Amino acid sequence: MIRTDSELILEITDLHACVENQPILKGVNLTVRAGEIHAVMGRNGSGKSTLSKVIAGHPAYNVTAGKIQFQGQDLLAMEPEERARCGVFLGFQYPVEIPGVSNLEFLRVATNSRREKLGQAELDTFEFEDLVRERLNVVQMDPAFLERSVNEGFSGGEKKRNEILQMALLQPVFSILDETDSGLDIDALRIVAAGVSQLATPTSATLLITHYQRLLNEITPDFVHVMDSGKILRTGGKDLALELERAGYDWINSTNKDQEDN
Amino acid sequence: MAVSRQWLETLPAPHGVLQKLQQRGRNALTKNELPTNSLEAWRLTDLKRLEKLFSLTVVTKSEIPLKPFSNSWVKSPKNGFRIVMDPQRDPLEGIILPDGIRPLTPLELEQNLGQVLKSCLCSNDWPIAINNASATNLLALKVEGQDLPPLELITEATQGTFVPSRIILILEEKAKLELLQITLGKQDSAHSHLLEVHLGKEAELNHGWVALGSGEGNLLANLTIEQEEKSNYSLTSVQHGWSLGRLEPRVVQVGGEATTTLKGLQISTGSQQLATHSAVRFDGPEGVLDQLHKTAASGHSHCIFNGEIDVPKIAQRTNAAQLSRNLLMSTRARIDTKPELEIVADDVRCTHGATVSQLQEDELFYMRSRGINSKAAATLLLKGYCQEILDNLPVEANRWGILNQLLESVK
Amino acid sequence: MESQNSVGEIVSKPYKYGFVTDIETEKISKGINEDVIRLISSKKQEPAFLLDFRLKAYKQWQQMQEPDWAELGYPKIDYQNIIYYAAPKQKDKKSSLDEVDPKLLETFDKLGIPLNEQKRLSNVAVDAVFDSVSIATTYKEKLAEHGVIFCSISEAIIDYPELIEKYLGTVVPINDNFFAALNSAVFSDGSFVFIPKGVDCPMELSSYFRINSGDIGQFERTLIIAEDNSSVSYLEGCTAPMFDTNTLHAAVVELVALDQASIKYSTVQNWYAGNEEGVGGIYNFVTKRGHCRGKQSKISWSQVETGSAITWKYPSCILQGYESIGEFYSVALTNNYQKADTGTKMIHVGPKTRSTIVSKGISAGHSSNSYRGLVQMGPKASGARNYSQCDSMLIGDNAGANTYPYIRSQQPQANIEHEASTCRISEDQLFYLQSRGINFEEAISMMVSGFCRDVFNQLPMEFAAEADKLLALKLEGSVG
Repeated sequence: MIRTDSELILEITDLHACVENQPILKGVNLTVRAGEIHAVMGRNGSGKSTLSKVIAGHPAYNVTAGKIQFQGQDLLAMEPEERARCGVFLGFQYPVEIPGVSNLEFLRVATNSRREKLGQAELDTFEFEDLVRERLNVVQMDPAFLERSVNEGFSGGEKKRNEILQMALLQPVFSILDETDSGLDIDALRIVAAGVSQLATPTSATLLITHYQRLLNEITPDFVHVMDSGKILRTGGKDLALELERAGYDWINSTNKDQEDN
Repeated sequence: MAVSRQWLETLPAPHGVLQKLQQRGRNALTKNELPTNSLEAWRLTDLKRLEKLFSLTVVTKSEIPLKPFSNSWVKSPKNGFRIVMDPQRDPLEGIILPDGIRPLTPLELEQNLGQVLKSCLCSNDWPIAINNASATNLLALKVEGQDLPPLELITEATQGTFVPSRIILILEEKAKLELLQITLGKQDSAHSHLLEVHLGKEAELNHGWVALGSGEGNLLANLTIEQEEKSNYSLTSVQHGWSLGRLEPRVVQVGGEATTTLKGLQISTGSQQLATHSAVRFDGPEGVLDQLHKTAASGHSHCIFNGEIDVPKIAQRTNAAQLSRNLLMSTRARIDTKPELEIVADDVRCTHGATVSQLQEDELFYMRSRGINSKAAATLLLKGYCQEILDNLPVEANRWGILNQLLESVK
Repeated sequence: MESQNSVGEIVSKPYKYGFVTDIETEKISKGINEDVIRLISSKKQEPAFLLDFRLKAYKQWQQMQEPDWAELGYPKIDYQNIIYYAAPKQKDKKSSLDEVDPKLLETFDKLGIPLNEQKRLSNVAVDAVFDSVSIATTYKEKLAEHGVIFCSISEAIIDYPELIEKYLGTVVPINDNFFAALNSAVFSDGSFVFIPKGVDCPMELSSYFRINSGDIGQFERTLIIAEDNSSVSYLEGCTAPMFDTNTLHAAVVELVALDQASIKYSTVQNWYAGNEEGVGGIYNFVTKRGHCRGKQSKISWSQVETGSAITWKYPSCILQGYESIGEFYSVALTNNYQKADTGTKMIHVGPKTRSTIVSKGISAGHSSNSYRGLVQMGPKASGARNYSQCDSMLIGDNAGANTYPYIRSQQPQANIEHEASTCRISEDQLFYLQSRGINFEEAISMMVSGFCRDVFNQLPMEFAAEADKLLALKLEGSVG
């Protein structure tokens, strides 16, 4: 839903970042307003995942230039946990398994840290159980997963559902879903997509990072950006994704070259 | 020099059922006062701390009662029964043993005492000599049947004392028991503990061993286990809070086809030096070992793990896995780990692994990206790290609040 | 299982380098004392500093104990019953190959290392060492055009004393261990390599060591220095005739890598291993160590160990320079009564240093094959990483495979990861290959080769083929 007068949520200006001294992002610009759904597409190594990690504040990624404003705040100055508390959420492409740490307890501590920031009361174990059981429905997840260790032994689909469950609990303002569709069969994809759609509100925004069109068949983006070599090369509507699906990524490079040549 | 000789002179003359062993241990100590760092098994040991053992008073029956034991003990288990290893009393005094458990007869004792030690090839080890020389009392039980209440054994050393304790436990064929040992130590105290366990065919022992010191005491503990065919031995050990702590679990599968599970947790803080030297030998085919040993070292402490696995020619189709995971949490702490595999049988599956690192950065980041601050995330991770071992303890261990004690000390 | 016997047969191929060259040799009398050391030094016309070096080492050695911790169990060596210097009689200094005794050239021909101009390997420079002396070095002039020095260490002592004095004994101190001290006192010859700043050595360098006399000890000494931004790949090969007595080989190899320099050191060790009953063979007690002194420097050891009665060898890296890299890739194959105790030490001193260890042990017959390694993270090695993988393969149920990885860390921001496994060639795998028409011997050879692939991939091309051949020699074809 595009409304030019809606609140500015995220503004990325000329963002450069590197990993182990290797430049990956080379000048990314992106503006996201409340209510919008953005999709970032691109082939492997184009910098899509790096962009998501930088927004979430992964310590291995070094920002060398540029800035990110989140609801008027300097996001880059914030610790990863502070970003999460303010409502930035990253759904990981490969959620880590943490043996021994109970999923239920992890979810409760995370939820309470977000609630504290929102000025809401801390939930005790019983109240939290009620909340989490209700939210499980969003992703049709088996309560048995709450008793297990964080992501340990979860299948690919179960891990992604656990990510969306966290999104449902944390109620983020800005969510990035990094290749959430990868490794999912079509039923799991529908459930995850339905969960994401259900969680979208007029005051929040979503950034989908994906390789393929198929997630975008389930969630219609307002903007599609194509990344290559650490930059956004093209921006368009949902049709751009369809065009890309039809003509492949080389098409972007060649049309872009044409534009430069002209 | 001669610290041990002076110490030996303070001991009462050899007497009682352990008389022969006492004499033997004292002779051995006269010859070998202290191990040296040139011995592989003692290479990393702080010998000064070991020497401190000899400055403590050995608690024996003949002495006047010492200070009463701490009232910090949790209540006796509801469904189980508790035996206190108090060196001044017969541990079975006033205890009504449940059906299926009885003391060994003098003849059985004579036949069995020291047999498991021999079978584990450690009769001549230095800590055994110390225990032989000083132990005046022992608990010797025979176990039959399956529906037995869990057994809880407590040993505590109070300030300034040296407490020797010795246990011999025989599980008959198909017997099944849950055993929780709690070992506690106050400042400037020491334990010398020796356990011999024989598991008959298809017998099962779920053994929890928890040793929590206050930071200054010493602990030498030898757990020796002999397993017959198709028996199942599971040890979950927790070691924390000793100036010098040394646990030596030694298991031998005499007929093969047995299952051994060793889960160990070792948390050192301050200037503690904690060590586990485990040894498992397969003297028959188709044995199984699942071993996971975890350490976490903070402050300027030192954690040591040495895990020996011996698979001779007879042990075909052995399946052994050992993993040593170590967390180094401070720049002044130190970790030494050494798996030791000796394999001759060719049709075996043996794997081992070792890691030493800080808490995993990607795990920390995952938690932080959900709004949990670094410190809380680290605590959660450490809790998970410990929990993976503690979950294997007998259920009755929950009453002791072990996890909280460990986390409290690491903070 | 019936196939076990045939596997046993397959791994017992005869040693093909066991011949003795009949050549007149100058030997000094048996035994070691100060006079012997002075004699060796004067025969080699060495400068005074080197004689001092030797005498100091001898004094230290006298006070040292022969190590026994590796539990290799060999009969006591009588150090007074060894000849410490033996050289084929020929003109003092050979200015061209024409002056080298044709018998020697023939020997190296037979070993597959032709030295003369027509036949020599086109892209490998070779330093050939026979008993105690270097007899020829090929491509010296071509290398000199690039500023690369490649010659015997005896020549280097005379021609480049300042480099020798600056570097010799700085990586392996004379009192480092019993055998290193002995070597420092009596070393006879070996190779010297110097790669100046900014030079990538234009060809592979190689030394070939041949023990010919039965009662001598071989004490060669190798020193390789790579200055800033230079690189070199060096290969070492060795064989010896069959004698029923044991011969001592106690070499010392020192590598120095300065800023951004890279040294790759490969060994194919095929000393005589003794007969099927374990009689005779070389005792291979070697100290090899590299020092990554400069930032982002790199030292990589790869070795294929198939020979010697006893091997006791731990090529190591001291990773001092910021972001320096150490690597160790090893295949050790033991058969009959051979004993190998080999591995590496990775001593991480500097920040962000990295090391990789890949070790593959194959034990057959009654042999014993041990991996013994040390990974140490010092207090300043923040951000350092190590990954080790040690796999053992057992052939037959009389062979032993032991693994002793020592791990020590004093740096929380360092990561160590060690993995190990033991396996055998499974009947299923064999059957699968055989059912596709591959014969039994070939199948075994393929599996062993596959097991070692990670290591072979690290060898220089010329050597990879030789290594494969060497294993094939022991693993392929039936007896006779």
